[in-house]
Amino acid sequence: MEAIWLYQFRLIVIGDSTVGKSCLIRRFTEGRFVQVSDPTVGVDFFSRLVEIEPGKRIKLQIWDTAGQERFRSITRAYYRNSVGGLLLFDITNRHSFQNVHEWLEEARSHVQPHSIVFLLVGHKCDLESQRQVSQQEAEKLAGAYGMRYVETSARDAINVEKAFTELTQDIFELVKSGDINIQEGWEGVKSGFVPNVVHSSEEVTKSDRRCLC
Amino acid sequence: MSCHWRSGEAPSDPAGSSEFAEPFAEKEAPLRKPMPVTLTDSAQQTPDSSPQIPTGDSTTDNSTDVAPTRKERKTRKRPEPKPPVEVQETQEEKPKVEEEPVKAPSELTVARGGWGYWGSWGKSLMSTASATVATVGQGITQAIEKAETSLGIPSSTELSAPIREEDKQGGEPSNETDKGEGDGASAMGSAMGMFSSLSSVVQSTGKTVLTGSLDALEFIGKKTMDVIAEGDPGFKKTKGLMIKTNTLSQVLREAKEREEHQTAEEVSSDTEKKAHYGMLFDEFQGLAHLEALEILSRESESKVKSVLTTLSGEELAQLKEDLKLIKEPFSLVEFDDEEVEEKKDEDGAEFLRELTEALDGLHISTTADKLGKVSKNACDQIAQMTKPIKEEERNEEEVAKTYTVENVHSSAIKSLAELTARSIEQFHKVAEMILLCTSQKVTTLEQAKILSQITIVLCKEISLLSKKFTSCLTTIGSNEKGDVLNPLITGVFLEASNSASYIQDSFQLLMPVLEVSHIQSSADSNQQ
Repeated sequence: MEAIWLYQFRLIVIGDSTVGKSCLIRRFTEGRFVQVSDPTVGVDFFSRLVEIEPGKRIKLQIWDTAGQERFRSITRAYYRNSVGGLLLFDITNRHSFQNVHEWLEEARSHVQPHSIVFLLVGHKCDLESQRQVSQQEAEKLAGAYGMRYVETSARDAINVEKAFTELTQDIFELVKSGDINIQEGWEGVKSGFVPNVVHSSEEVTKSDRRCLC
Repeated sequence: MSCHWRSGEAPSDPAGSSEFAEPFAEKEAPLRKPMPVTLTDSAQQTPDSSPQIPTGDSTTDNSTDVAPTRKERKTRKRPEPKPPVEVQETQEEKPKVEEEPVKAPSELTVARGGWGYWGSWGKSLMSTASATVATVGQGITQAIEKAETSLGIPSSTELSAPIREEDKQGGEPSNETDKGEGDGASAMGSAMGMFSSLSSVVQSTGKTVLTGSLDALEFIGKKTMDVIAEGDPGFKKTKGLMIKTNTLSQVLREAKEREEHQTAEEVSSDTEKKAHYGMLFDEFQGLAHLEALEILSRESESKVKSVLTTLSGEELAQLKEDLKLIKEPFSLVEFDDEEVEEKKDEDGAEFLRELTEALDGLHISTTADKLGKVSKNACDQIAQMTKPIKEEERNEEEVAKTYTVENVHSSAIKSLAELTARSIEQFHKVAEMILLCTSQKVTTLEQAKILSQITIVLCKEISLLSKKFTSCLTTIGSNEKGDVLNPLITGVFLEASNSASYIQDSFQLLMPVLEVSHIQSSADSNQQ
């Protein structure tokens, strides 16, 4: 069982309904393209380890939120404990791009007093012929908000790793520099090191066994 | 209402001791400290002296077993944050208790749940507690091991005698002396916080185990068990536990992290793959769902509070009355282990049917599919693991596929972790859906009742699975030595007990959610 990680980062994935949030995450965590038919209800969870430097692994806990408007009142509650986020839009759906601003506002207002490092993701870049949002336009918007921009495709596995690892790297740098701190009562970043204060029953059963042997 | 003991439990106390109850409680109080020692002694002798009770025969010792089991549940129960009037009165000098809703429930359990008699040995408890815990702990460990070795039920007259005495003190007096002793108990409760309920559990744990049923282990809380298992004489670790663990997810997270570190340390030296409940629970995203549920619960709680401050007069009174009703099903969860029959529900179909039926009653779009799958998988695994053993002699080809006790143990822990994670996921989804849509077809109160029913169904399934897995362990490990098999069996029961606790604690998290839902729906109907 892979267990050793330096930090755990909690990432939240947001964006309009049907832009492909769940597909992107499942490509990243399961390594396959799943044609998700049912819209996400509330929030779903995924996790994966990422090695950012040799021997330095970070566990990503990914909160996959529902994009549908009706879930907004609930998903709002989940922002606060995230350190990073992927803001997705669908490059073949201009409307989803126009909503990026709204999503950012939504996130920023609910994450107080903490902040989230966002990455703007133009998804479904395999559908070049149906593109409605140009790369320059998206990069410009991302730049205006101080975000990186990546174009991805879950179906063709384009830039999926890149999107997550770049975001992870950025957060890692901020943690290293002390701009992001691990705080009590905030789940955004957790350290993998925890002193072994409390003893579990399992330990005891084990030592018991040793004694008896 | 101030007392949770049901009068129906009285028959379990054939001596009909209620009239002696009060003097007994007073007189016996100083003797309570050495009690566990006495019990320990008899516990050690009993399995040898009375092997006549057949394995798994739960009907014969019903009379003594039912009561402690139920009482055990009581200690897990969380009464509503507001204490009953009479307790409030006695707590004037300790108003803090009411202001701290997080701490208050466990303390109030002490005052209300029938542990009133603890008050009589009041403050000296602090110093003796640690020793008592250790002694009881050892006693239990030994009792468990004996029980496991024989796999019989060490219930005999020697055992039931001291237990009946305990019943006199534990059960009945609290009825009558509630008000009198409430003072001491609650004062102590506030001073001791969680520990008093811890030791209560230890106390009744002793009882339950000694009454004989191994199944009772399922009801021992995690924290208690840490104390017991370690026989922690210093009480320091327990203290650390009390301070450290504020929320359920924190308890679980710590367990997981501990295991991760252990695993990390063991990688080189220990090749044996051990099933780690906490890590598996996290892998099934149980921790994440739990945290999300906690978020929704906390948010709902503050919403309810703010609504209450905006109302006044009749409106406020009405709402308070409504909320009180909604809270009721949350303090009435009674899970009777005796009802769980091993033979029933071979393939998990019955569980799925019961759960689906209950979920349908909530009138929100949620299904039992995931939970059903977990339970079915577990049942399939058990069926597969027990099969080759039976046919070994006849069918040579089957021999190749034999299972070790470690296999069974891993499979058991994994199934329990998964079922618990999925249960919490289910509660989380239910919370989300309830917050989203107020249904006209069903009242919030009805939903609360159904959810408490669902909690019972889930705990029953946990209990059933642990029984199936442990009997599978004993079958497969029939040639193993006790010191190999026993820790594995204990491990399964322990994690089953934890699982049931986690499920019930998550159920409690739904209460504020339902309260908000009720406020929403009554606001909706007022507008129409």
